[in-house]
Amino acid sequence: MTLRSDHVVGGAFVVFGLVLIASSGDLPVGTLSFPGAGMMPKLIALLLVVFGLLLIIRGRESAPLASISWADLPHALRVVAIAAIAIALYQTLGFFITMALLLFALIFGAERQNPVYALGFSIGVVALTYFLFEVALKTPLEHGTIGF
Amino acid sequence: MGTIESLWLGFSVALQPDVLWYAFLGCLVGTVVGVLPGIGPLSGMSILLPATFGLDTTKSLVMLAGIYYGSQYGGSTTSILMRIPGEASSVMTCIDGYAMAQKGRAGAALCIAAVGSWVAGTFGVIMLTLIAPPLATFALRFGPPEYTALLVLGLIFLAYMSSTSLPRTLLMACFGLLLGTIGIDNMTGHFRYSFDIAELGDGIGIVPVAVGLFGLGEILSTPAANVVGKVITPKLRELLPSRREWRESAMPIARGSVLGFLIGLTPGSAHIISSFLSYAVERRLSKHPEEFGKGAVAGVAGPESANNAASTGAFVPMLALGLPTGPITAVLMAALMIHGVPPGPTLVNEHPNVFWGFIASMYVGNLMLLALNLPLVGIFVNVLRLPYAYLYPLVIMFCVIGVYEVNHSIVDVWIMLIMGVIGYGLRKFGLDPAPLVLGLVISPTFEMSLRQSLIMSNGNWTIFFQRPIAVALLAVCAGLLVLAALSAIRSRKDWRAKLAEVEAGES
Repeated sequence: MTLRSDHVVGGAFVVFGLVLIASSGDLPVGTLSFPGAGMMPKLIALLLVVFGLLLIIRGRESAPLASISWADLPHALRVVAIAAIAIALYQTLGFFITMALLLFALIFGAERQNPVYALGFSIGVVALTYFLFEVALKTPLEHGTIGF
Repeated sequence: MGTIESLWLGFSVALQPDVLWYAFLGCLVGTVVGVLPGIGPLSGMSILLPATFGLDTTKSLVMLAGIYYGSQYGGSTTSILMRIPGEASSVMTCIDGYAMAQKGRAGAALCIAAVGSWVAGTFGVIMLTLIAPPLATFALRFGPPEYTALLVLGLIFLAYMSSTSLPRTLLMACFGLLLGTIGIDNMTGHFRYSFDIAELGDGIGIVPVAVGLFGLGEILSTPAANVVGKVITPKLRELLPSRREWRESAMPIARGSVLGFLIGLTPGSAHIISSFLSYAVERRLSKHPEEFGKGAVAGVAGPESANNAASTGAFVPMLALGLPTGPITAVLMAALMIHGVPPGPTLVNEHPNVFWGFIASMYVGNLMLLALNLPLVGIFVNVLRLPYAYLYPLVIMFCVIGVYEVNHSIVDVWIMLIMGVIGYGLRKFGLDPAPLVLGLVISPTFEMSLRQSLIMSNGNWTIFFQRPIAVALLAVCAGLLVLAALSAIRSRKDWRAKLAEVEAGES
């Protein structure tokens, strides 16, 4: 049997739904006349399992798993890694430094563009954005522990 | 107060210089957002949402709405000049718009798209003016059972209209509903799936989820090396279409306006669906269907009118019923709620300045967009000369700022990143993220109205079949499910499957 994309998606949601039901034991379902906090999440988790099973059953209508191209995965991973580092540093370094580093890392590090252009673009755009938000729109950006 | 007097009140608000300025700003930003591939109206609105905190409700709403319908205008520019849809709703314009540009008719295609958008936008606002107030009055009869039935209908309708399969759409909607249950339960005070993270107590916001799924998700699946575009620059004197082109575009604009507005009333990605449907309708009605794909004027006029009319139509359920039909109207509703103005049936009577000021501003905004998009097209085209390797980092930066500034919460930014990764995965497996966002948006209302219905009936679930409006809404749900099941049983390709094929082949 050829493994198809809907088999994987359906299977993932069946497992997710079952895990959710199993881990929601402390949420009371309540009664029909006074539904508790657990009624809706458990009902939806059950629906996830049902629709997941439906996808598995009708899986042959979907594309084979092997036909999905993952050529863009390295690019996606680079972008996610750089963005994650920037988010982790955002409240410490503040908007100006973090965003200039983020732009430079993406343009030069991930896209291999000219480092001088990348640096100029990063600093210029961040300065312009800083002015736009702080001065023109009067919306304070994150200053971080450094102060700007 | 009659419609004319109310509209007069609206214009007295909308024509104030500061309101005009924010309408202009919204239209300008919206056009740029529409022109730039990778940034959608949702990202644009989310980024500027914090900037509206200091404004009054009318100005905030006018500016954010300007971004929304402005982006529908701007989206056609990249489609026609580069064959890259600036907006998902401009995908169909790429086909014949770019073909016209290659024949040296880029200016005419841009003009037809702009005029069609203006006609459709204005038609949409007229219909909004006429329909929204009586609908809001009718909606005052809605209690929890009616709202529950209405929301179920919204989800079923979304699944029925979707180009992917019914189980896939409902699966995504359920995932969204589940995300919407995270946080403190309003009725009992229980913490649900918040994993001791204080910020999750308030639940997951619409903005980080929507920006992550649509903004970041799109960027992750688009490596810069794959975006190579040649910009065709039209000359100003070439902007005027010939008499034959005007004639060929008149009826498609009219049909697209009506079709788009009607589809705009329904939940889901109405502005996208409407442009696909309009293209299919025009090709079916054309005496020369073989010209489609090779520069047919109707292939530009119809879809461009439809997506603009749909974006206006989407305001009807939002303003009259307080129901978002998608993530964009949800952000607009969030803007209203931030200012302490509850959207819904009471908006017309309790905040007439906001309601009618907003509607009047759309008449003005559509005129502004026409003036912006035709003479200044050369300036907007220059924005496209920025290489994608420089553009997408900029979009990521604005995504981070936009999400962070809403609540000054870094947890929201992490949620956005996680949602970006999920959005990438969903695209890989051909799942549509729009139902997920809709599920998240309606989840609190749906849960509350369902539980209130059960409490008021003392646990008797037949309450949904005892009230005429709820019964009528549920009957429509059943009808749609039967239609979907029949189409699956016959295993015959219906119009939605054909639409999905066109989408896959042309995008």
